[in-house]
Amino acid sequence: MIRVSELRKSFGSVRALDGVSFHAERGEVLGLLGPNGAGKSTALSICTGLIVPDSGSVELGDAGSPRDAPARRLIGLAPQQIALYEDLTARENLVFLGKIHGVLDPVRRADELLDMVGLLPRARDRVRTYSGGMQRRLNLAAAIVHDPPVILLDEPTAGVDPQSRSGILELVQRLAAEGRAVIYTTHYMEEAQRLCSRVAIVDQGRVLATGTVPELIAAHGGESLVTVDTPSGARSTRTREPLREIERALAEGGATAVRIDQPDLETVFLALTGRRLRD
Amino acid sequence: MRASLELALKDLRLLSRDRAAAFFTFVFPLAIALFFGYVFSGTTAEPMRVAAFVESASPAADTLVRALSEDGAFVLHRVESREDGERLVRGGTAAALVVVPASYAAGVDGMLTGAGPHLGLVVDPSRRAEGSMLVGKVHEVGFRTVFSSMADPVQFGRALDRMEASLKDSELSASDQLAIRVALGRARSMAAKSSKDAGAGGASGMSGWKPVSVDVTELAMRPGIPANSFAISFTQGVAWALFGAVLAFGSGIAEERQRGTLVRLRVSPMSPNGILMGKALACFLTCMATEWLLVFFGVAFFHVAVSSWLFMAVVIAVTAFGFSGLMMLLAAGFRTEGGAQGAGRAVLLVLAMVGGGTVPLVFMPPFLRAASNISPFKWAVMAAEGATWRNWGPDEMWLPLAVLAAIGAVGLTAGTALVRRSI
Repeated sequence: MIRVSELRKSFGSVRALDGVSFHAERGEVLGLLGPNGAGKSTALSICTGLIVPDSGSVELGDAGSPRDAPARRLIGLAPQQIALYEDLTARENLVFLGKIHGVLDPVRRADELLDMVGLLPRARDRVRTYSGGMQRRLNLAAAIVHDPPVILLDEPTAGVDPQSRSGILELVQRLAAEGRAVIYTTHYMEEAQRLCSRVAIVDQGRVLATGTVPELIAAHGGESLVTVDTPSGARSTRTREPLREIERALAEGGATAVRIDQPDLETVFLALTGRRLRD
Repeated sequence: MRASLELALKDLRLLSRDRAAAFFTFVFPLAIALFFGYVFSGTTAEPMRVAAFVESASPAADTLVRALSEDGAFVLHRVESREDGERLVRGGTAAALVVVPASYAAGVDGMLTGAGPHLGLVVDPSRRAEGSMLVGKVHEVGFRTVFSSMADPVQFGRALDRMEASLKDSELSASDQLAIRVALGRARSMAAKSSKDAGAGGASGMSGWKPVSVDVTELAMRPGIPANSFAISFTQGVAWALFGAVLAFGSGIAEERQRGTLVRLRVSPMSPNGILMGKALACFLTCMATEWLLVFFGVAFFHVAVSSWLFMAVVIAVTAFGFSGLMMLLAAGFRTEGGAQGAGRAVLLVLAMVGGGTVPLVFMPPFLRAASNISPFKWAVMAAEGATWRNWGPDEMWLPLAVLAAIGAVGLTAGTALVRRSI
């Protein structure tokens, strides 16, 4: 649905993107996982047509480049910053955005979305009276007011409470399940692991690896660490087959406790960059 | 276009919810117009300044003028002609002109025959309250002076003699004439007895009777001369109306940028030009609304006369266009909300002050009036004056309108180009 090829972009002497490529199909959540400043937001801005790349291209199915207005209609963007009119109500925000997107019945659509994000009871309240989590949910609803097939979510859970975060993640899963292509940037490994069909590890303007979470771990995560506690002390072993290692420890006898530390995306990132994700 | 209109309506809704911005856009200009209107009109708690013109000297007229002079409610200026008096009223020096006609003395004498004395009162339409008070006072003073003449046995006797003489030529029957002669005889003897009482407090028993009729005339506007101080202050208010509108929207794009909503607009199907058109449209509609509001209040409540409604409509539309262009330049000049609000306010304030926002153009010294040419506000105020008290025709109106249209065209073109680069 959306295909990004070899994007390059510099701001002065700073190279923000250095040959970034990825794609997302309908029904898929592609996670762009990387630390702050990795180039994720720049990539999304280019995907919306807001920034022109120095080279490379973005194609939205058969519609072409997002620099063209007809193709841009296929995109919904939830920016990292909450982009709402605080002195309008939630319904007024969505109705206004619906109107400028040419939605046929913007009021009905606004109410549908408010119901979807659990804000219908507060529809007539001004956004400035909302909590951070509520504003985040509305920010997400505003991105899909025109029912786009491609949704770009730039760190949509930044600064929200665990309950709202969980609600947002469920909503994203639902949007993907309905057949939309979702690109989701985050620096939260847990979110990427829970939500994304595939993950692209991004750092310093480059995509270091792309794949499903198990594929990435298998390829870059290294071995699991199995620790067996015995009366004589703890014994740790690195292995790609932790279950077999546990079986052997149990057969030997004397094991009082067993612990497995499996590699995760953090390990993958460390392996790929030599740094931790949140350094 | 539809999306631009929606964007403009959204901005107007946001303006209506920002109490401070709405105040400075709609209420402040009105307050300024009223403030300066009252300041220029000289309305104070001091005695009312009244001009008096006596068409023909007579003892009765002298008595009336003296009584008005001695009344603590007035400061009386005697003038030599009606035109001099009207000039004082137009200039705000006097609240009204009392005209004592040549027929006044005869009216006093003929009061009992039913003719009665007449007075003329020329008032500034914007000072009706003072005019009404003045009518009451003139009645009171007239009553006193007329009654004092009745208390004078000689004057009253003369009046009764004239009335008795007029009976001879009347068509009344002999019996009616006799009855009236008897009544006049009794009146003659009662007046002689009660002259002292009547002079002291005669009004108490005759409160419904008006011995003097007062014809009130509102001063007609004369082309080229403001009819009243509000004619100046309301056109002056136009500068502040435009100031508020431009300031409210000049920072609009910076606000959208800082809120992040500009990104949403950019991702929408709206083109950058469509977004900017929406912003300019909101400013244009607000300029129009606030200017029409001023005109409405001025005409409805302060007797500001519009010489041509067609010109007024054109002036308001062209002014709104010009200042939408100025708004776009402001938006292009300042990328942040703080910059647009702070520096923008400073720039506009200087331009508004130089352009007649504080000292009206008509009161400016020549050098300042020449300097004011650089201010778009000056041309807006001039155009508004042209459509009101200056009573300009197309030959005079074209220049301010052309300047405003040029400001609008240049501002929108250059401003849009500059803003486009930044969004």
